[in-house]
Amino acid sequence: MHKNFGDVYAVQGVNFDVQAGEIFSLLGPNGAGKSTIISMLACLLEPTQGDALVMGHSILRDPMAVKAAIGVIPQDIALYEDLSARENLNFWGKMYGLRGAALRQRVDEVLGVIGLAERQKGRVGKFSGGMKRRLNVGIALLHKPHVIIMDEPTVGIDPQSRRNILDNVKELNQQGMTVLYTTHYMEEAQELSDNIAIMDQGKIIAHGTHDELVKIVGELDRIDLTINAEAGRVLERWQATEGVHQVSAENGQLTLLVDDSNVVLPRLFESASRGGVRITSVEIQEPNLEAVFLHLTGRALRD
Amino acid sequence: MRVIDLALKDLLQIVRDRRSAFFLGVMPILFTFFFGLVFGSSAEGDPRLPVGFVIHDESDALSASSQTLLEASDAIRPVLLEGNDADSAAESVRDGDLAGAVIVPVGFGEQALAGEKPRLTVIVDQNTPAGQTASSAVQAAMTRLLGAVETARLSAEAFEAREGFESEAARRAYLDEALALASEAWLQPPLTVAVEQSGAAAEEGEEISPNVYTQSSPGMIVQFVVFGLNTSAMVLVLERRSRTLQRLLTTPITRTQVIAGHVLAMFLVVFLQQALLVAFGQLAFGVDYMREPLAILLVMVTLALWVASLGLLIGAMSKSEDQVIMWALMAMFVFSALGGAWFPLDVTGKTFAAIGHLMPTAWAMDGFQNIVLRGLGLSSVLLPAGILLAYAVAFFALAVWRFKFE
Repeated sequence: MHKNFGDVYAVQGVNFDVQAGEIFSLLGPNGAGKSTIISMLACLLEPTQGDALVMGHSILRDPMAVKAAIGVIPQDIALYEDLSARENLNFWGKMYGLRGAALRQRVDEVLGVIGLAERQKGRVGKFSGGMKRRLNVGIALLHKPHVIIMDEPTVGIDPQSRRNILDNVKELNQQGMTVLYTTHYMEEAQELSDNIAIMDQGKIIAHGTHDELVKIVGELDRIDLTINAEAGRVLERWQATEGVHQVSAENGQLTLLVDDSNVVLPRLFESASRGGVRITSVEIQEPNLEAVFLHLTGRALRD
Repeated sequence: MRVIDLALKDLLQIVRDRRSAFFLGVMPILFTFFFGLVFGSSAEGDPRLPVGFVIHDESDALSASSQTLLEASDAIRPVLLEGNDADSAAESVRDGDLAGAVIVPVGFGEQALAGEKPRLTVIVDQNTPAGQTASSAVQAAMTRLLGAVETARLSAEAFEAREGFESEAARRAYLDEALALASEAWLQPPLTVAVEQSGAAAEEGEEISPNVYTQSSPGMIVQFVVFGLNTSAMVLVLERRSRTLQRLLTTPITRTQVIAGHVLAMFLVVFLQQALLVAFGQLAFGVDYMREPLAILLVMVTLALWVASLGLLIGAMSKSEDQVIMWALMAMFVFSALGGAWFPLDVTGKTFAAIGHLMPTAWAMDGFQNIVLRGLGLSSVLLPAGILLAYAVAFFALAVWRFKFE
């Protein structure tokens, strides 16, 4: 699929398969095009070029069948705050075609799953952020969709609610639902996903399982450092240091991909010392998706 | 079915909004009452000018006849003043509580029946239109009264010359009877003047009892259905802002159904608001909407369709709650003031009335008032209803064109 907004090429020739029953993550920084892809798969946007099949239904030719097969959990909490939790679920259930006893039963089940049975009559506007987030998830589960699409559901929430959502995703997947998950948190993609597509600037730049992706950076070690001066004072010097493959700097932290951290680290200390710079912290990490992104783009994932 | 579910959800949200009851019901009823007072008086719906009536001799036979003739006037109505105090009557005229006052002196009837020229005191402020009107009306009534007296007197003289009276009491009884008959004859004059509108023949209306609320009741219905839609347009704006509008589109509902659901909700709100205000106008203010229920229903439906389309347009154009209120206020002032909701366009002159009729509200007012004021029938609302429907289509098309789901 391609999607242009005027001169802005938001999605450029993206092509991927998601197998039934797997968790598939789109990982990339903000602006990479993840949400645009989700919007197209949810039939909110039409691709400029191309098409996608969801459960065999074309998003262009049969959008109603696609919408009936998916449950979308938007990045923003999208609820009617002046209605109660139960009234929200009732309404959204009707939008998914549920009626009568089937609707009542399903609403009861979902209230139990999201842990809001006790607060079902409470006005949503008075709920905590975590409760709203859970209800936001519950709405997408009402019609027992084949595919759950989650667009950065953990942005801006507390660690406990985040943990709760990640556990929910795994549980839904264990119940047989296929999950398409977007995130810019490397740890979430790593923890949840069977397959991951790394995106940057509207393109998929790498695609595979976690292990397959990590192999891209080979045996390189990743070192995160902080120094007592501006990064510019050591950046060029370290880029030229033997055994260093890549250096990036952000918010006072430097990230390096190196052959062997045991050999390269003393050279970095020596080089810094010669430049009058002191290294204040060092962290050596195993190769991970962050390193893959750095290796492929020259930028950190959080940039 | 999803369209109805969406409309019911909107209605639930509107009912939950505490402002709804205020804007949709309380304010229009208060304003109907207030504007009714402005256009009318405290005389329970009698629009005629009040003229004080002081009788110094209640046994005077002519006093009752003069009161009857004043009652029959189209311009004034006699208000019997207790205490027979001429000074307080004059004070009431000065204060504007009365348009004038008539003082009937002792011996008025006897002098008149004797063929003398009795003096009647009339207090008015000739510098005011109300005073001039009251003065003319009193003079007309008194001319009729003295005409009746003269007729009775001449009749009595003729009878006396031909047959004679057995006693003074018989003569007096004859005079009283002749006076009563002559006075009554004035109430049903043998000549009436028919006034016809020039140009195309106008539909003849049924006579409607005067009621000061025939302007303010439909006027405030029209004004507050326009302003009341701010609550339903608000639902649309909040839905867009909370991203629920976009989420709706991820469910198996089409964009057309989403718009239809919202318009249906707005239509129902406006229609139910009108039904409430019409019922209140009928029962509490005595405005006779139910003399042509089908015609009133037609005006209500087409007005609700136009207002719902306007609400959709305001919801489509507004990005925030403040903008909804601003547009709703602007629409209310422009459509109400120019459309004749505050004052009748008939009194504004040709140019203003023509400009006013560019507003759909003017046609809604015409529709309502053709029934409750002019006494016309179903056919009289077909043109106003048709024009309202055309406006509804135009506003709906504009709203759909401007509608953004994001």
